[in-house]
Amino acid sequence: MKTSLKVICSFVFLFIAAILFSSFRNKRSAKFDFPYKQAGLSERQAAAHLLSRFTYGAKNGDVDEVVKMGLGKWFEQQLNGSIKDEQLNELLSKFEDINLSNVEVEDKYPRSAKVLRMAIRDGSIHKDSVNKGDRKEYRKQLQNYMQTKGLKPQQELYRQFISQKILRAAYSNNQLHELLTDFWFNHFNVSLTKNQCASFVPAFERDVIRPNVTGKFSNLLLSTAKSPAMLVYLDNFSSSGTSASMGMKAEEMGMQTMQEKSFQRRLKNRKLRQLDSGMLNKVKKLQANKKKIGLNENYAREVMELHTLGVEGGYTQNDVTQAARVLTGWTLAPMGDDGGYGAGMKKIVEKIGADNLQKRGFVREGDFLFVPTRHDNGEKTVLGKKFPAGGGYQEGVELLTMLAHHPSTAKFISRKLATRFVNDNPSPKLVDAMARTFSKTEGDIRQVMITMVSSPEFWSKAALREKTKSPFELAISAVRGLDAEITQPYQLFTWINKMGQKMYYYQAPTGFPDRGQYWINTGSLLNRMNFGLALASQRIPGVKINLKALNASHEPESAEAALLTYSKMIMPERNLEETVKRLKPMLNDPELGSKVEKAAEKAPVQQPVATMMNEDTELMTDVKKKDAVKKNSDKDMLAQVVGVIIGSPEFQRK
Amino acid sequence: MTSRRGFIKSGGLALFGIGLGGVPGFLIDAVAGTKPPGLFKRKKIMVCIFQRGAMDGLMAVTPFTDPYLKAARPTLFMSAASSGKNKPLIDLDGRFGLHPAMATFEQVFRDKRMAIVHGIGSPNNTRSHFDAQDFMESGTPFKKGTESGWLNRAVGLLGHDGATPFQGVSLTSSLPRSFYGDNPAVAISNLQDFNIQMRGNLKGANMAAKSFEDLYDQTSSGFLKETGKESFEAIKMLQKTDVRNYKPANNAVYPNTSLGNSLKQIAQLIKMDVGMEVAFAESGGWDTHFNQGTETGIFARNVNDLSESIMAFWADMGTLQDDVTVMTMTEFGRTVKQNGTGGTDHGRGSCNFILGNGVSGGKVHGLVNPLSIENLEDGRDLAVTTDFRSVFSEVADKHLGIHNDKVLFPDWNGKTIGVMAV
Repeated sequence: MKTSLKVICSFVFLFIAAILFSSFRNKRSAKFDFPYKQAGLSERQAAAHLLSRFTYGAKNGDVDEVVKMGLGKWFEQQLNGSIKDEQLNELLSKFEDINLSNVEVEDKYPRSAKVLRMAIRDGSIHKDSVNKGDRKEYRKQLQNYMQTKGLKPQQELYRQFISQKILRAAYSNNQLHELLTDFWFNHFNVSLTKNQCASFVPAFERDVIRPNVTGKFSNLLLSTAKSPAMLVYLDNFSSSGTSASMGMKAEEMGMQTMQEKSFQRRLKNRKLRQLDSGMLNKVKKLQANKKKIGLNENYAREVMELHTLGVEGGYTQNDVTQAARVLTGWTLAPMGDDGGYGAGMKKIVEKIGADNLQKRGFVREGDFLFVPTRHDNGEKTVLGKKFPAGGGYQEGVELLTMLAHHPSTAKFISRKLATRFVNDNPSPKLVDAMARTFSKTEGDIRQVMITMVSSPEFWSKAALREKTKSPFELAISAVRGLDAEITQPYQLFTWINKMGQKMYYYQAPTGFPDRGQYWINTGSLLNRMNFGLALASQRIPGVKINLKALNASHEPESAEAALLTYSKMIMPERNLEETVKRLKPMLNDPELGSKVEKAAEKAPVQQPVATMMNEDTELMTDVKKKDAVKKNSDKDMLAQVVGVIIGSPEFQRK
Repeated sequence: MTSRRGFIKSGGLALFGIGLGGVPGFLIDAVAGTKPPGLFKRKKIMVCIFQRGAMDGLMAVTPFTDPYLKAARPTLFMSAASSGKNKPLIDLDGRFGLHPAMATFEQVFRDKRMAIVHGIGSPNNTRSHFDAQDFMESGTPFKKGTESGWLNRAVGLLGHDGATPFQGVSLTSSLPRSFYGDNPAVAISNLQDFNIQMRGNLKGANMAAKSFEDLYDQTSSGFLKETGKESFEAIKMLQKTDVRNYKPANNAVYPNTSLGNSLKQIAQLIKMDVGMEVAFAESGGWDTHFNQGTETGIFARNVNDLSESIMAFWADMGTLQDDVTVMTMTEFGRTVKQNGTGGTDHGRGSCNFILGNGVSGGKVHGLVNPLSIENLEDGRDLAVTTDFRSVFSEVADKHLGIHNDKVLFPDWNGKTIGVMAV
């Protein structure tokens, strides 16, 4: 009896658990409830809106596909981000160095100062020849040296890195993950303009940002905090406690700075010693001072202001200082030979021995190193939370986790996501709803995204077409809309830069502002128009389009037909009445044909002369010429129409 | 957002530029058919030149009577006394000597139109180019997260609605940190490119331009419409003169260098009356760790380019000189002592040059103590004795009439040092 009851009980329990579990599962993969009908949108219009916000631009036929698959399923698939990307991977495989680790980059792409140092040391370049005499010859020498050593200029690394971003954005099937990678990179901005951290930037995007874009926010925060790119960009790698607070001998701290090195060099310099006999004492004093100001607050400030709480997030200067103390000792593991990064740590690590590191309180994870001898061991209080003395590495993790889960962070991140995906001024109601999800789920980005898309605000009039494309988004959406074949992605970067978005080179830790007005100024707008014309008329090298093929090889019968066909194709489900109305007069210019013809006549037509060595040559070429002129003018007309569409105000919006 | 519209002023555009060629047909049509954009009443213009890489202020303007400097720089120290083979420094006041490659600066200095500030720099003692430039350009030496740059804030503080897309102009390919922000600022690397372009197809370009103009005129998006209008008006403004065949006034010859070309285009914009009030240009190559040379060599080439470019610009300004003040800046100076490779490493204080009819010229301002070790910052560098914000805010105040230092430099309370006369 008892046993059977037990059995029944456990059956009941299992049954309930199964129901709970399946309902939970159902919830996870449930059809999302997208309230687009309430907003008066058709399914196709809703699909177009989804595509405009969660891809880099709809490709021809995408709307049909999303409708066929179902909007919810499509969005879920995008959140999962695990669609196969064979075609993209094939293209990426041509860029051999985009998968190098930081250590490999250090060795293969040394900074130019380091190359020079090596070349001088190896006797390949005499130090007296630097900046002197024949500069061409000198550059050649340096190039030869790099070649024999298998070294490459850093510019090449960045070229490959930028190219991969463009190809991924244009061709990846997992578009939302690309957008989120861009969003989070910009949120945790690091910059190629800062030489010291530049070579770590590719790995930062690849290993720190990309794998975490739909996961827990705290994971993103922690991995960025420990990444070489961020450690150097915001200087935390050099931040240490005072010698008093650490109870350590100065030389054990491995923090000899440039200044101190030069003091010591100077000490050896007799001439100067004669100048000032009291120098020794002064140097000692200065060194002592230096130890006291070993703290660097840059990262601690920005992690609160820009990465988590937001500037109005409720922290004080004292919180910044205390947080900086918590994060002392977080630095880079030694990497690379020849005085690469972390060289200061190298000796210490070697002295202690890799096996003893953990015992001595070090933490080494990949390129990250926690050095207990540089950590401020005293007690700290941040935002009212006490961190007892001796917390070591773990208190930093606790601090960042606390920041990641803070209510101000929930709001700040939600607002930023809504600003990127809904409109420039998201409603407080939407932000609150997203922040609630953020807090409930301990910062589950995926869930916050679902809340956002399920909100009426996402589908409202205030959102539709209200975002302005960034230059990068404009370029990629054009390329996708025209189904272009990109063989030289860097050419697009040149244009994107001209239009005002030098990707990866934004200097400030704020990242690019996410506001339409920021992107649109007189100069950049002109360049957007010129970009459209250049792309459509095939004047961007390495970016090929086939307008005819795009229209299933139908040649539009008239200019007007072209205008209609291509605007609909490039901007699906939009109201294009005004655009078409405004562009018609240009096409109906009765002189258009003859004008273009005239222009074409002036331009030399390619003549297949070599094969026409008979008497009819003249006649033949004449006929051919006329044909060619006709063809050219049609092609020109089509290119011009498409170019104007891409440069039009409607196409600047998404 | 305040409206940036409304700068189509009546009257204005005399068609004097049309005959010069290079004006696309649609513009002539447009000019004939609509109200032309107007000329702006010329206002004061501040031209800033950022010397990226950290100029060795001690070599540009050398305290040549200082025995410590002489000892610290066995092969780099230059003397003001003329010797047989070497060009001497130009003795400015018995204590400071101007590098001989900058000889063209001497006259304006003697005429009291040029002031020099020595020992200028940032209170933040970072010796990282990136950080120091970032701090100098944001104008907040201890705060990285400042979104805007100080020149952008300066544009916002001019106190009148500029209503011109050219109020702040940077002659660079992308906007520099100094111009980040919400106020109108535009980066132009080449004035000739400021147009709708279809290579080899002028007619096509004209038609496209007309279409664009129409499209942007009707769009429902407010700022796209506004900016579109501005863009086309900006093109028309630039078309008033023949940008390609510009002839500088007073036979001024600009060096054919990046800085020379930038300043030449700034001069063109000033003369075109497009409403520019803050201009920015850059000069590179100042990070002289190796063999910086003395009266010849890389440093000499750099200062020669700097001074020749500025003086060509000044001559070109001619009667407009009263309206213009030029100010140079660099992120920090270099070590007092030369290094092991005939160069100098990252230091602290440097010097800067301010040129204009309103400056308190003919004087080396600031404080440079004898360069004995106890006077050096961190025992190695020329101490920063004048905060860059002191000088920048004074020039902006006296020349542009920007009084609100709390916005221009939020954390700055200090005093000015009188680099401007009026």
